[in-house]
This record gives sequence, C-alpha cells and structure tokens, in this order.
Amino acid sequence: MTSRSGYIGLLWLSPALAFTALFVLWPMGHLVWLSFTSTSLLGGGDFVGLKNYTTALSDPKFWAAFKFTLSYTLFITPLLMGLGFALAMLVAPNTPLRRITRTVTFLPVVIGLASSSLLWFWLFDQQVGLFNLLLVKLHIIDAPLVWFKKPETAMIAVILSVTWKVVGFGMILIMAGIQSIPADLFEAARIDGASATLRARRIILPLALRSILMATVISVIGSMLAFDQFYLMTGGGPRGKTFTSVYWIYQNGFIRFDLGYAAALSVILMVVIMAMTALQLRLQAGGRNG
Amino acid sequence: MTKTATRRGAGMVLAAFAALMSSAAWAEDLTMWVRESAADPGKLMVDLWNSSHDNKITLTAIPDNQLVTKLATSAQSGDAPDIVSFDLIYMPDFMKAGLLTDLTDQLKADPHYATHIQAYKDIATYEGKTYGVGFTPDVSVLAWNKDLFKAAGLDPEKGPATIDEIVEDARKIRALGGDTYGFWFSGACPGCNIFVTSPMMVAAGSKILPKNGDDEALTGDGVKKVLEAYKTMWDEKLIPENAEVDTGANFVSAFASGKIGIAGTGGFLISLMKREHPDFNYGLTLLPGAEPGQVSGFVGGDVVAIPAKGKKEAAAREFVTWVLSDEAQLQGLAKNSILTTRTDLADNEFSKGNDKVLTTSKALAAGYVPWVFHFADMVNSDSSPWITMLQTAIFDGDVDGAIATAKTEMKAIAAK
Repeated sequence: MTSRSGYIGLLWLSPALAFTALFVLWPMGHLVWLSFTSTSLLGGGDFVGLKNYTTALSDPKFWAAFKFTLSYTLFITPLLMGLGFALAMLVAPNTPLRRITRTVTFLPVVIGLASSSLLWFWLFDQQVGLFNLLLVKLHIIDAPLVWFKKPETAMIAVILSVTWKVVGFGMILIMAGIQSIPADLFEAARIDGASATLRARRIILPLALRSILMATVISVIGSMLAFDQFYLMTGGGPRGKTFTSVYWIYQNGFIRFDLGYAAALSVILMVVIMAMTALQLRLQAGGRNG
Repeated sequence: MTKTATRRGAGMVLAAFAALMSSAAWAEDLTMWVRESAADPGKLMVDLWNSSHDNKITLTAIPDNQLVTKLATSAQSGDAPDIVSFDLIYMPDFMKAGLLTDLTDQLKADPHYATHIQAYKDIATYEGKTYGVGFTPDVSVLAWNKDLFKAAGLDPEKGPATIDEIVEDARKIRALGGDTYGFWFSGACPGCNIFVTSPMMVAAGSKILPKNGDDEALTGDGVKKVLEAYKTMWDEKLIPENAEVDTGANFVSAFASGKIGIAGTGGFLISLMKREHPDFNYGLTLLPGAEPGQVSGFVGGDVVAIPAKGKKEAAAREFVTWVLSDEAQLQGLAKNSILTTRTDLADNEFSKGNDKVLTTSKALAAGYVPWVFHFADMVNSDSSPWITMLQTAIFDGDVDGAIATAKTEMKAIAAK
C-alpha cells in the first residue's frame, strides 16, 4: 500500500522532475562538462582536465571582478533591504493611498533591467542628463559630473539606478510577511501601550523575519549575478574597474570565444553563490529556532 | 487537322505550364542576417535585389554583439541563414573555424571580382581560398566643422593634414571658449578607436596588430606620436571631459552637436548628415600621419558570405555574384551615397561633384584592414590591450608603459 502510494506520488511529481532534469540539471551537467574542455564558441575543443580551473585561480582579472561584485553586493543589499522594509511598513495597511503608493513603487520592477539601465545612463549624462541638472539647480554640485569617470561615482550611479528598479520587489515580499501577522497581536500591543517603534522591533521584525531573509537571499543572488546594469552603464570602466564576475564570464565566452574557460568561471561562481545561499538559509533556520 | 490543332494547343498549354513552373517552382525564399549597425545599407541592397529577382530574400537584423554567437551556434546546429553579412574583421576567425562556404572558383570566374577592392579580397582569403566579398563598405576619415574653423580664424576649406596640425587647429577652436572643444574621440570605445585612431598610427609608419606569436605588435613611431598628441589635447582640455568614459554612444552625436572642431568618423557620416543635419557645414579629409601626404583609413563595413552546409547554396551564390554587378554597385550603393566595392565604379554618375564621397573613395584605396585572428580579444573586448593602452597613455599619462604592456599582451593573445 505504502509502496503503491509512493509510486503514485512519484507519478504526480514526474512532470516537475522531468522539467527540472531537462532545463536545470542537464544544462548544469553540460556546463560542468564544458568547463573541463577547451571548447571555442566557433566550434572545436578538447578535454583539458582541470586546466581551466587552475587558470582561473591565477586570473587576477577574474578575482578583481569577483571582489568588485562582492563589494557591490555588500553595499546594495543593506540599502535594498532597509529601504524595502521601511517602504513595506509604510504601505502594509490596506488604505487607498497606500495601495497607490505600493503600485507606484512597484512599477519599475516590471521594466526590463536593460531598459532602466539605459534610462539612467542618459539621466546621468554630463551634457544632457537631467540628474546632473537637478543637482546643479539644487546647488549640490557646481558643474555637471562625469559619473562614470571614477569607480566610486560609477558604483553610486549604478546602485541608485538598481535601487530605483528593484526596491519595490523587496517591499512587496516583506509587506506580504507583515500582512500575514495576525491583527490581534498589534491590537494587544496597542492596548498594552507599546509604541510604533516597539511594535516594529518586537512584533514585525521577528514575525516577518522569514520574508525579510527570503528577500535578502534573492537580492544577494541577483547582485552576485549583476551584468546588464554594468554592461550598459559603465562598460566595465573606468579602466576595467567595474567588471562584475558575470561580465568577465561574458567577455571570455562571447568576446574571446573561450567557452570552456567561461564555463569554468561560471562553475566557480555557482559554487560560491550556492555556499552563500546555504549560509543564509542556515542563518534563517537558526533565527527561527532561536 | 483537328487532331493537330488539339496537339498544338496541348503543347502550348504544357509549354506555358512549364514556363510558369520554371519561374515559380525554382524561385526560392532565402534568409539573410545582417548586423544591426549595417542594416540600413543592407536593406537597400536586399530591396533592390528583391525588386528584380524571383528568389526573394528575407533580411533579419541581428544586434551587433549577438551576431557572432548566433552565427556560430546556428552553423553548428545546421540552422544558419542562407546568407550572412557581418563585420569584416571576424572573417579570419570564421574562415579558420570552417563556418563559411568556399567561393574561390565562382569569384575567379567573375570578371567583376578583378576590380574588387583589394582590402576585401585580402580579409576574405584564407590559405588560398576566398570565402566572401565586400557588401556594404565603409572607411574611416577625419571630419572638421567648417563654421568653427572659420570662427577660429582657420581656413574652413582645409582640414588638418598632419597629426600636429590636428593639435594646433584644436587649440585654436578651443580658444573660442565655452563648451566648444577642439577634438573628440570616444575614450572607452575600443572599436571606435581602431577605426579612427589606429589609421593615424599606421599613416605615421606603425603596424598595430601581430599576426602570430612570433610577430611584433605596435611597431614604429606612429603609435607613440598619436598617443602623445591625444595626451596633449587631453591635458590641455581640448577634448570634452566625458570623452574619457564614452563607450561609443556619442561617437557621432558629439561632432553632430556642432560643438566639436575635429573628429574621426566614417563614410557613413555622409548619408547620416544628409538625412538628419542637411545644413551642417563640414568637410571630410583622409586621416593623416606625422608628415604631409601620409594618410590612411580603416577599411570597415560588412562582408557577405554563405554559411557552410547551406541548403540553398546555389541561390545564395547568385546573390554573391549580383553584389559585384553594376546594378548593385551603382543603384544599390552609389545612388545612396555609399561607396562602391569595385574600384572601376568609384568614379560614377552619383559621386561626380560630391567631394565627400570622393574623399572616402580615396580613403578606401589608401586604407588598411588587419588580417589577424583573435581581433575581438586584442581590440574589441572592453578590457583589451588596445583600449587599455589608449586609456593608460592618454588619461593616466604613461605613454611608454602603456605601449610596452600592450605589446606583451597582444603578442600573448596572438600566440594562442
């Protein structure tokens, strides 16, 4: 009986399993296989063992790109989560004005990242950029800035554009967590005289923690895979200082035609992201248990 | 009698049917890819072909940065288009990888091929076999703003004839003040600079790219001469500040804004300005070297080829032959202010009296195109030794160090 229901269960799962095997596991296996070869985008290639991995370990440009990606992630994640949480708190109650605010904040999420990056690229332009004009008019700067001239200002420009683009996504996830908290808890807290700050610290934060951590995991993965915004806004410049890991993989695979090496770099990045995600999920589980 | 008439009638019906079949049944629908930046001239040519041939071509524009990937993967999976038009610089890599059909015998038999521009013949030939012909050509030239020249007290009818003259003229134009600058180049665009900056180095006696690991890169004094001239203009603020980070978005628009005195550009500027800024007062001249008379240009544009193992190879070959015909050259290219790829047709009814087109024709004849593998790695990549050299020399000021590093890196890439 148990064995029969097991088979039936497997039968129900089979479409999902087949889908995962075909579109996730097989490409992943192929990627790992490619990483052990010298396959060129133009065709041909041989098995080279671990050569691509040993090359990657001593590739200063890959590690510089990795370090830059990590620092980008470390800067943008707290910003996205902090702002996302604040906005979620603001728009969680279901009043008409808050619903409109919610929609407006979420709107940029549905725009493609490439489109929004191009939009911001021109907004930051020194000669025709409205952002520069605004800063000059507000007397924050004396003359229009060339935002992409220095890695620091280029990073700020990209972070601003990405924050505008994706903060609504974190907001929605966290807001869903806040809205799932039973209303009587808030009511009891109010009767007991708990302030808004205390309610946020003692009720919202712990009970919406799962949603916050999930939003953080998604945000970290997205940032570690950053490509479009840097490709379109900085072109890796100035002097190659804003190359992200994925940008460097793209350069090797599609500009240098070295698919085997690009695959090895992808595998390394995949392992790092999986380790980071596992750590975050462990922290999440620990937070819940604690 | 009746029987004869019936037979004759039946014969005529059969003949008419056969004639109909011969045109309808043999007419083929061909697919063709063109890179997006060459789609406009490509469309003009394909429209002209479709208007006079039974075989019809459907043209698809592919984003420039996706064409190589799409072509390589489609050729390997057997889904390549029947004809493809792409940046000529990828020709050596594609020929070596066996992605293209050998057209040697067909072109040898074509009388028009004899007058085909040599640079296209060279770039499309590998180990004695030819795999394509020039399709929509272009070449780099130097543009100057005649109104700004006049305002700065310079002769508006005479463009700079040496690299030093570019610097001197740029100084005078910058002296006009405000947001008027002497010179423009896209400082973070590797492709733009191989097109407009490298020819000045070549004109001044340098060779840029190595053919293999034993060959030297960046030889001669021209490289240093040009880098120092650019550095001087940058240090003296004769170039706008945003040039340092421009990845090509302002390659044309900076000059078209009317605030730039001199800029490298391509022959494409003629039709573009005619269409969008018909009253803009500018001149074109050949990219100069160190001494008067030293000139060069980068022969660019697209080549047309047939992907290997194509299912409609015979029909595709007809198109390649047509590309070199008088009709295609004159009605498809020259009539639309595009250069012809046959030298015997360079001076034609459409170019007569058009100084700008004649200048680009001269540049095409004097121009060069590097025949190297790994061009993308050495030049087009955003982290290539080529663009790194330019940026380190011009913006950071280390000319000698930049050249030495680029030499080593280019040689290592060529040795792959």
